[in-house]
Amino acid sequence: MILPKYSEFCGRVKTLSGASALEAIPGELKKMNSKKALIITDKGVESAGLIKIVKEAISKKGSKLTVGAIYDETPPDSDYKVVNSVASIYRNKNCDSIIAVGGGSVLDTAKGVNILVSLGGDNVLAYSGAGAVKQRLKPLVAVPTTAGTGSEMTLVAVIADHDRHIKMTFVSYFLLPDIAVLDPRMTKTLPASITAFTGMDAMTHAIEAYFCLGKNPMSDTTAFKAIQLVSKNILNAVKNPGDMESRLAMANAAALAGIAFSNSMVGLVHNLGHATGAVCHVPHGVCMSIYLPYGMEYNLHKVGDLIGELLYPLAGPEIFAKTPKKQRPRATIDYVRGLNEELKKATGGRHATALKDILDREGKQMVPRDAIPVIAKNAMGDGAKTYNPEEQSFDDNIMVIEAAWEGKPLDLKKIKKGPKNQKF
Amino acid sequence: MNIDKYPELKPGKKYIKRYYVAIMLWIVGRAIQAACRLDKEVIKEFSELPEKFTFSLGVLPDGPFMIIGKDDKGRAKYMGWNKGRTRFPLEMNIKSLEAAIKVFTFQEGTATAFARERFIVDGDLGYALAVVRVLNIIEVYLLPKIITKLAVKRYPRWSEFSPLRKWVNRILIYIRAFTF
Repeated sequence: MILPKYSEFCGRVKTLSGASALEAIPGELKKMNSKKALIITDKGVESAGLIKIVKEAISKKGSKLTVGAIYDETPPDSDYKVVNSVASIYRNKNCDSIIAVGGGSVLDTAKGVNILVSLGGDNVLAYSGAGAVKQRLKPLVAVPTTAGTGSEMTLVAVIADHDRHIKMTFVSYFLLPDIAVLDPRMTKTLPASITAFTGMDAMTHAIEAYFCLGKNPMSDTTAFKAIQLVSKNILNAVKNPGDMESRLAMANAAALAGIAFSNSMVGLVHNLGHATGAVCHVPHGVCMSIYLPYGMEYNLHKVGDLIGELLYPLAGPEIFAKTPKKQRPRATIDYVRGLNEELKKATGGRHATALKDILDREGKQMVPRDAIPVIAKNAMGDGAKTYNPEEQSFDDNIMVIEAAWEGKPLDLKKIKKGPKNQKF
Repeated sequence: MNIDKYPELKPGKKYIKRYYVAIMLWIVGRAIQAACRLDKEVIKEFSELPEKFTFSLGVLPDGPFMIIGKDDKGRAKYMGWNKGRTRFPLEMNIKSLEAAIKVFTFQEGTATAFARERFIVDGDLGYALAVVRVLNIIEVYLLPKIITKLAVKRYPRWSEFSPLRKWVNRILIYIRAFTF
């Protein structure tokens, strides 16, 4: 086990996990003196009937929690103007807490709203960056409806400024929700392809957390368990969406992976994934599942031993024991590629394994080849590269993105290698 | 009760460490200013930062600091060490003097220091990354390879950083940093 000379860890989100976790929300908010909550969600969650389930669960007899308003127009990419306007709804309705029901965009929007309603002001961008939020915010309950982002466990919110075509990052321990509610009813209706790529998003969080520079024994523990849970349950959740045990396992995996990467940060996979998402509007999880094996290959010479250790939670003790130590790193990468292929089959080809194969709803290619230099340039300004074990230059990015576009493994000889034996 | 039995604990001063870090910050600050007139990558990094952009790099809680701003021509300008109460668009602070010593004696590379949460960044993370890239280039110029290799993830190859560029600019940066 690697014990860094110094590390920090914070995982203080109270987690309610189980088949009737939603019903516990009023009691938890009562403990925080909250009587009137604002629900923030999006149209997809509303039309899937999930808000109805949440409303019924929190309005059961004896509950003294009222819902001040429901905002269901959160866009797929959280936007600062939306955040500003939702904050005024919160104020007008005299709410005193927020319940965010949705995926990453909804949770990020809710975190942004919470900054404004707690600290004052009209524009959330005034609090962008790291360290601008310095005090406790209003009670925030996060109810994820996908099992992937782990946003319910993270101290980060990403909110877009669509006028300037940039995404602003907000980082503070005070952005951690007070409560995360992992209820399998919330992910039961997720379509197979979304279950697949959001699950691989969680897998990526955990795997990168395990081998990137900020790793520490506590983030390792949560990452290890998250990988095990995803590996064991993702295919079943895709093939049998109604299997509540798999859904709950995936929700727990996403939360554990969220704790892991929130504390150890992530590397190249997220770096290129964020850039690809920003330039070509590809869903985050799709980018993650495609880039994941490339991120491991790119860092193989520095953290091969760590990658090899991941064969245990991925493939189980028998395969791990049968595989000679030297072969484990490559076997781990092959296992992840194999899992992506199985998910592709299980989703009828919708789970893309190469950038060139990602199609939008009209069947158009989302990542044209000529977007590669733009993605590579965009990635140079993304913070995740700081935590990647190997250095990433513009040319390195081009090499990795080209391979991921084609869907071919990286040519390891072409990787410019820094010194082996990474220090942590 | 004799209240004097319970004296307040006051932090020590650590003068030598403070002076060492202050000198290092002064050298790095002056070198950034010089490099921004010589090295095309540093010039490019600064050209992409907003007009009138200013940042500080220092040590919490009381410094020392280094303040760098963009002048009217868009070039980096070393603006001194006294931060006072001024707030800058980007503030990169090392959490303690002990952590700063590890960074400035190259026991910890910049990336490792970030990973160990030694830094607190207030401001846009994209700009902070640009500053880190500039710092990595400055380290290549200022320090011998054997030491720089401890501070960066991968020492640049000849194809990325020709020896001619390195030695000519190194000499000019040293002259400019210590003269005008």
